[in-house]
Amino acid sequence: MFVVRVQYEVFDAGAEVAKLTESRTDVGAVTTFIGLVRDFNERPDVQALTLEHYPGMTEHQLDLIANQAAERWPLLGVSIIHRVGRLAPGDPIVFVAVASAHRQDGFEACHFIMDYLKTKAPFWKKEHTASGDYWVSSRSSDQQAAERWEIEHD
Amino acid sequence: MTQFTHLDAKGQAHMVDVSAKAITSRTATASASVRMNLATLELILSGGHAKGDVLATARIAGIQAAKRTPDLIPLCHPLMLSKVSVELTPDASLPGIRIQATCKLSGQTGVEMEALTAASVAALTLYDMCKAVDKTMLIGDLRVLEKRGGKSGDWCAEDSALHQNSVLSPSLPDSSLSDSALQVRFFAELREQLKQDEIAVSLKELELAGYPFTVAGLCQWLSQHQQELAPILNRAGLMVAVNHKMVDQTAVIQSGDEVAFFPPVTGG
Repeated sequence: MFVVRVQYEVFDAGAEVAKLTESRTDVGAVTTFIGLVRDFNERPDVQALTLEHYPGMTEHQLDLIANQAAERWPLLGVSIIHRVGRLAPGDPIVFVAVASAHRQDGFEACHFIMDYLKTKAPFWKKEHTASGDYWVSSRSSDQQAAERWEIEHD
Repeated sequence: MTQFTHLDAKGQAHMVDVSAKAITSRTATASASVRMNLATLELILSGGHAKGDVLATARIAGIQAAKRTPDLIPLCHPLMLSKVSVELTPDASLPGIRIQATCKLSGQTGVEMEALTAASVAALTLYDMCKAVDKTMLIGDLRVLEKRGGKSGDWCAEDSALHQNSVLSPSLPDSSLSDSALQVRFFAELREQLKQDEIAVSLKELELAGYPFTVAGLCQWLSQHQQELAPILNRAGLMVAVNHKMVDQTAVIQSGDEVAFFPPVTGG
């Protein structure tokens, strides 16, 4: 029911969604999120970015996040795929899909997974721009978004 | 004591005359390993590598190399090999690829140099195929595992290790870490600032210096011991993981643990 992958190559969102619903008729909603590389971030003219991760721990953390989501909402399937290596603006970078009986659970779980992934999965981005390379700083807004789920849960 | 056969009475290098030796069936097996990032191994296994099938290419390279051994090793006899096999086995515990090469012939001299050459070149080819995604790969464990036939008879690394009480073992454990060692890793910006991704820390030293076996104790000892680490370990938002689990400064550490320090994460 959980698919967690870290890979260099591009993912096929359609095929991943198809896997979640294959040979079952109890899924009423598949909610997906796809993150792409922007050409502007801390500086304009981002030419590329390089994603580093912590092999072993990354998969462990993503699996943990998927399990936490399944504890909070009645889910029928979760896929989390994150790319690493060098990516160009416009490239897909992360894929999250949640299968559930009803849309509300799917929307919330998908949102939760992305908020947790942003603050708890060991990935780091280095941006390459015309004016030089730099490691991307974390945002306090991402931290606050993740903390929101902890408050609501209590 | 056994003499070097490639040196004559005057100590000069020469090729051994094997004309009078009996023709017997001889086999030799050698091994090597290539350690790499887990992501590199995954890329090889998924078949997603830009250069194509990495393992098949390395296997063919190893077989070709065995046939060219006398061109490379000065005093090696040219041999009519009757069989060369190269096996590559992915091993997530390295993580990396284990290589085993076996050479066979009916002849008058042994084939361990051919097996070693095959294993070496298969390892070098793996490096060549994957260097674009991982420059930190480590080639190691190159050795003869077994030798059969010929005047000196059968020989096996495992038996030999037992008899001589040698520290060698056929499946070499992670030799960089002793019992009381911690593996300390750094990622992303921290790794770049330090210009290294990993250090080994002895818990005995920590104990002798009176620091507690916690993440906080380790940070204090490291800052004291290696000054360039102090600003890194004191940076705002520093994250710590022990054995792949996110922890805080109070977490207890013990020998064999993998402790990782990294900046706030920025994926997604």
